[in-house]
Amino acid sequence: MKGSRTFWTVLILLAAFHAVVLFAGFFAPYGYSRQNRDFPYAPPTRIHFVDSHGHFHLRPFIYGWQASSDSYGAYAVDSSETYPIHFFVGGARYEIAGLIPSRTHLFGVTAPGQISLMGTDGYGRDQFSRFLYGGQISLAAGLIAAALSLLLGLAIGSLAGFYGGWLDNALMRGGDLFMALPWLYLLFAVRAAMPLHIAQGQVFLLIVVVIGLIGWARPARLIRGVVLSAKERNFVIAARGFGASDFYLLRRHILPHTYSILLTQMTLLIPQYILAEVTLSFLGLGIGQPLPSWGSLLSGLQQYYVLASYWWMFLPAIILIPVFLGYSRIADALQERFAVVPL
Amino acid sequence: MKFLARRLLYSLAILLAISFLSFLMLQWAPGDYFEAMRMNPRVSAQTVEVLRAQYGANRTFAARYVTWMGSLARGDLGVSFAYGTPVGPLLWPRARNTLLLTGSSMILSWLMAVPLGIWSAARKGALLDRFFSFATSTVLAVPDLLLFLLLLLLAVRTGWFPAGGMVSSNFDDLSFWQKAGDVAIHFALPALGLAVVALPLLLRHVRAAMIEVLNAPFIRAARGHGIPPWRLLWRYALPAASNPLISLLGLSIATMLSASLIVEVILSWPGLGPLMIQAILARDVNVVIGVVMLSSVFLLAGNLIADVLLFASDPRIRVE
Amino acid sequence: MRLSRLSGSIVAACLLFAAIAAATLAQSAGKATPNELGTPGGTLTIALRSEPKTLNPAFAADQSSQDVIYCMNADLIHINRESQRTEPDLAESWTVSRDGKIYTLHLRRGVRFSDGQPFTADDVIFSFRVYLDAKIDSPQRDLLIIGGKPISVEKIDAYTVRFILPQRYAAAERLFDGFPILPRHLLQNAYAESSFSKAWAVSASPSQFAGLGPFRLAEYVPGQRIVLERNPYYWKRDAAGKQLPYLDKLVFLFVPSEDAQVIRFLSGDTDVLDRFSSENYSVLKARESAKRFHMDDLGASLEYNFLFFNLNDLAGKNLPQIAAKQAWFADVRFRQAVSSAIDRAAIVRLVYQGRASALAAQVTPGNKLWLDPAIKPASHSVQHARDLLKAAGFSWRADGSLVDRGGGPVEFSILTSSSNAQRAKIATLIQSDLSALGMNVHVVTLDFSAMADRLLNSFDYEAAIMGLADGDADPNTEMNIWPSSGGMHIWHLNEQRAVTPWEAELDRLMNQQLVTLDYPKRRQLYDRVQQIVANQLPIICLASPDVLVAAKDRVGNFSPAILEPYVLWNVDRLYVR
Repeated sequence: MKGSRTFWTVLILLAAFHAVVLFAGFFAPYGYSRQNRDFPYAPPTRIHFVDSHGHFHLRPFIYGWQASSDSYGAYAVDSSETYPIHFFVGGARYEIAGLIPSRTHLFGVTAPGQISLMGTDGYGRDQFSRFLYGGQISLAAGLIAAALSLLLGLAIGSLAGFYGGWLDNALMRGGDLFMALPWLYLLFAVRAAMPLHIAQGQVFLLIVVVIGLIGWARPARLIRGVVLSAKERNFVIAARGFGASDFYLLRRHILPHTYSILLTQMTLLIPQYILAEVTLSFLGLGIGQPLPSWGSLLSGLQQYYVLASYWWMFLPAIILIPVFLGYSRIADALQERFAVVPL
Repeated sequence: MKFLARRLLYSLAILLAISFLSFLMLQWAPGDYFEAMRMNPRVSAQTVEVLRAQYGANRTFAARYVTWMGSLARGDLGVSFAYGTPVGPLLWPRARNTLLLTGSSMILSWLMAVPLGIWSAARKGALLDRFFSFATSTVLAVPDLLLFLLLLLLAVRTGWFPAGGMVSSNFDDLSFWQKAGDVAIHFALPALGLAVVALPLLLRHVRAAMIEVLNAPFIRAARGHGIPPWRLLWRYALPAASNPLISLLGLSIATMLSASLIVEVILSWPGLGPLMIQAILARDVNVVIGVVMLSSVFLLAGNLIADVLLFASDPRIRVE
Repeated sequence: MRLSRLSGSIVAACLLFAAIAAATLAQSAGKATPNELGTPGGTLTIALRSEPKTLNPAFAADQSSQDVIYCMNADLIHINRESQRTEPDLAESWTVSRDGKIYTLHLRRGVRFSDGQPFTADDVIFSFRVYLDAKIDSPQRDLLIIGGKPISVEKIDAYTVRFILPQRYAAAERLFDGFPILPRHLLQNAYAESSFSKAWAVSASPSQFAGLGPFRLAEYVPGQRIVLERNPYYWKRDAAGKQLPYLDKLVFLFVPSEDAQVIRFLSGDTDVLDRFSSENYSVLKARESAKRFHMDDLGASLEYNFLFFNLNDLAGKNLPQIAAKQAWFADVRFRQAVSSAIDRAAIVRLVYQGRASALAAQVTPGNKLWLDPAIKPASHSVQHARDLLKAAGFSWRADGSLVDRGGGPVEFSILTSSSNAQRAKIATLIQSDLSALGMNVHVVTLDFSAMADRLLNSFDYEAAIMGLADGDADPNTEMNIWPSSGGMHIWHLNEQRAVTPWEAELDRLMNQQLVTLDYPKRRQLYDRVQQIVANQLPIICLASPDVLVAAKDRVGNFSPAILEPYVLWNVDRLYVR
C-alpha cells in the first residue's frame, strides 16, 4: 500500500524523537536549570569546521561569545577562542529514565565555552537542553490528561447514547454544566491548597490531571452522537434480536464506531493539553521555575519583546509543529484502518 | 413543542446549578478581593473590614448566595467590588460586543470549514488534503495567544489594520457609513483570528465525518448508480454526516467564547474578556459569576439550537 | 531645609515657592521642568491598563481611577512631582501655629468648578467631612487619623479654613495632596441621603460631575475609552497669561495588556506611554527615530523589591514545619548570609536589563531627599555568606547541601506573585544563588489574592518576594511598615511589643520622626532606620526598577517624574506641537 510507507516513516521518526526526549539527560549538554548569567538571550551557537585561517578541522568546533558591554543581549563572535566539540563527555549528573545515574552526555564543549544549539533564554540557560527536558513533562502531562478525558468521555458518552432516556438527559445536561463552570477557580484552589513543598513537577501534573478529569464533556458529547446513530443500524438491531447482551453489543458493534472519533480526539487533545499550559501560565498556573515544559517555553513567546527581538525563541514552536503534524498523520492512518467496521 | 419546553426547563435548571457551583468554587479559592486590597500599605486593616461588611462579603456562603439570587431576580446580578456598581449594566454593552465578534467569526469559520472539509474528504490523500492537514496541524500547534500576537504584529508592521480597539478615536465625528466602515476594519483582525483558531477543529471533524459516510455502503451504491460526485457529496453524504456536525455546532460556541477571552485582551476589543480576566485576578466575585452565567446562557442557547436542529434533521431521534 | 524654616515661623507661600524652585534647580542638576509656552488645542491620547473603577475620589483605590481623577480634580496643597516638595494650589498660602498643630489655609479667590460654580471654604469643609466620615470609610481616611485621633477642620470665613491636628505631624502639608476638593453643591444631597457611595460612578452622566482640575468628563464608553475635555473655568494660567490647560481633549483608551499598549503606541494610537518593562524599552528604543518619539529612563522609582522571611508568631497556627524553620530565619546571620549570597548585580542586569538600582535598604536612589548614600548594598560574596552560616552553626554535607545544627537540611520555599514577571524572575535567580550555599529553595508562584491570603492571614509561607511602591517620597508613608504595630509590618504582623531591641529602636525612631519638624534632625532619624534595615535585614532589599516612559516628539512640555502619575502630573501644561 502506498500510504503504509509514509506511515512507518512517520512512526519511526516520532519514535526517535520521543526516545531523544525520554533520554533527555544524555542528549542534552546541560542541566535544565544551569544558568550562565553572562549570556542571557544568546543566539544559537554556530558550529564550524573551517576556522578563521581557512583550515579545515575534522572535529567540529564553536567560537566563544563576547557580550557587548553597552547594549544588553547583544553578542559578537570572538574568533580568538575556539572550543572543539567532544562526544560522550562527562558533565552534570542526571538519571537515565529516572533510575540509573550517569554523567555521560552525547556532546559538549569545555567551559567557559557554551554550546547552545537553540540559543539561551533570559537566564542564560540552554534552550536545547530545556526543550528536551521539557518534553518529558509535557508529553507525560498531555498523555495523562488526554487519556483521562477520553476514558471518562467514552464511558459517559456511550452510556448516554446507548441507554438514552433519562440517563442520557442527565449525563448530557451534566456535560453542559461541566463545560460552563469556571474551572479556573478550581485550579486556583487546587494550586493554592497544595503544600508549598510538593515538587513543582508534581504540582503541575496534578493540575493537568484535574484538567483532564474536567475535559470529558466534549468527547462524551461526540461519542454519544456516534453511539446514537450506530445503535440504530440494522446489524445492531439484528444482533439485539439474536439476544446479544448490552455489553456484547457495545463492545462488539458500537464502540468500534467510536475509535475514529477517539483517535481524532486523542491527536487533537494531546497538543491541546500541552498548549493549554500557555494559557495556564498566563494566569500563573503554569509549571514552576526552574522546571521546563513545552508549554512554558512557548508561553515565553507571548511577550512582545521576545517576539520582536529573539527569533530563536521560536525554535521550540517550529520543532513542535512537525511533531504534532506527525501525530495527526498517525491518527489519520489508524482511522483509515479502523473506519472499516466488520459487519 | 413539548420537546422545546422540556429542553428550556432543563437549561434553566442547569443555569441554577452552574450559579451554585460557581459560587462554591469561588468560595474554595483562597484570598478575596479585599485581601488583595490590604496589600496596599495605604489601606488599613480596619478599612478593609468595614468594606467587607459593607459589601456583605463577610457573611456566610448561604446568605451571600441568597442575596445574589435576589439580585438575579432584579436583573442587576449583584454589586461589583471593584466598580462599586451593579454588575448587570457593566455586562450588557460588553456582551453585545462579544456576541458581535464571536457570532460573526463563528459563521465565518463554518462557512470555511464545511466546503473545505468536504473537499478534502472527497480528495482524501491527495495533495490538497495533505495541505489542509498540514495547515490545520500547524495552527493547532501554535498557541492561540501567539497567533493573535502574530496577527497584531502583522497589523503594526503593515499598517493594513488598526492595532486594536473597536473604533477610531475620531469615531464621533464620522458619518453613519464611515462609522460602519470604521467598526468593520477594526473588526476584521479579531474576527479573522478567532475564525482561524476555530477552523482546524471544525475542518477535521467535517472531514472525519464525511470520510466515514463516504465509506458507507449506501454511498458506494449511489456511486454505482452513476450519481455525479458533486451531487453525491452535497445531497447524499453531507446530510448523513450532519449528526456529529450539529453536535459540534453547540460545542464550537464554547471554544469561541474562551478564545475570544484572549483575543479581546490582546486586541483590546471592548468585550467581556478584559473585564473577566481582571475580575478573575482581582476576585471580583459577582463580576466573574455574571460573566460565567452570561457565557453559560450563550452556550446553552447554542446547544439548544443544536438539539433542535438534530431533532429536525434526524428522524431517528424524533421517534424517541 | 524646607521643614526647618517652617517650625514655629510664619512663611509666605510665595517665598517658599522660590526656595523650592532654587532647591529643585540645585538638585536635578540643571534639568529644569520645560515650561514652554504651549499652543492651545489638540488631543492627547494615553492608554490605561484597566478601566477606572470609579471617578469618586473618596473611593478610588486602583491606579487607573486615580490617574483619571488626578486630571479632573485639584487639592489644597500639591506635591510637585518633579521637586518632590509641596507647593500652593487651591490654598494660595498657609500659616502654622507655634506648636505645629494648627494649619490655617487661605484659599484662592475667584476659582470656579468645572460647571461654573464658585469654590469656597464650604466645599473644603464638605470634602473633609466626607473623607473623615467613618461610614463612608474612604481608603484615604487613615491618613487623616494621626496618633489614633482624627484631625478636625473649621471654617473661619468664606476663604479661610483651619485644620487642627491632634499632635505635631511632620508631613502635615503633604497630607493635602491626595484629598481632592469635592463640589458641595453637587454632592451634598447624595451625602445627606447616604447614597454617596454610589455617586460619581464611571457610568454617571458628565453633567453630574464638577471638579477643580484642568479637565472635566466628556464621555465614557464602557470597555473602550474615557474622554476628558478642557475645563473652561480652570484657574491656572501660563507665564503669558493664557488660560490652561492647553489641550482640548484628553483621551484614555483601555488597553488591557502591556504588550498591547506598546504596540498601540508604536502604531501611533497613543501619544505617551508609561509603566512598561525594560525589555520593551529596548524594543521601543530601536524604533525611536523612525517613529518620531523619544524614550526616557528617569532613574530609580520609589518601588523597592525585597525578600523576607516569615517571622510571625505561629502559636495556634498549627504550622510546626514552618515554626521549626523560624529558628534559622530569626538568626540575623542567616539573613545576612542570604543577603550576601544574592547577586544583586545579576538581578539588575538580567531582570531589568540594567535599568534598575541595587538596594541596601528601602529608600531608593530616586528618593533624593531621604536616601542615606552612606549605606551600600551588600556585596555579592558566597565566601562571606558561608562564613556567616558557619558561625551560626550550619555545616555542609559531603554532597554540598547545607544542614543546620541538628542535622536537618536547609530547605525552604519562596513565595511570589504570578502577576509580576520581574519578581518571579528575581526568585529564580535567588533560587540559583542560594543553591550555591547548599540551600534547597523552591520557588512557588501564586496568584496575588492567594499570596495575600498566606502573607496576611494564614501565615503559611516561609519566605516571600514582594515589592512596595510608596505614593510619596516622605518617610511617613512607611508608618504602616516599620513600627511593630504597623498594618504592613509584613515579616511579623500583629506584633504586640517589639521582640528584638532593634525592632524597639525602629518603633522609637519612626514615632519620633513623625513629630520632628526639623528636616536635618528628621533625616538623621530616618537614616538610622535605613541602617537598621540594612544591617538587621527584617526585609532583604534587592532592587528598584527605573521609571521608563515614552512620548511622541509632538508632545510639548513633556516632563515625566518618578512620582505618580509619571507622565500626566503636569497635564495642564502638556500641549501638542
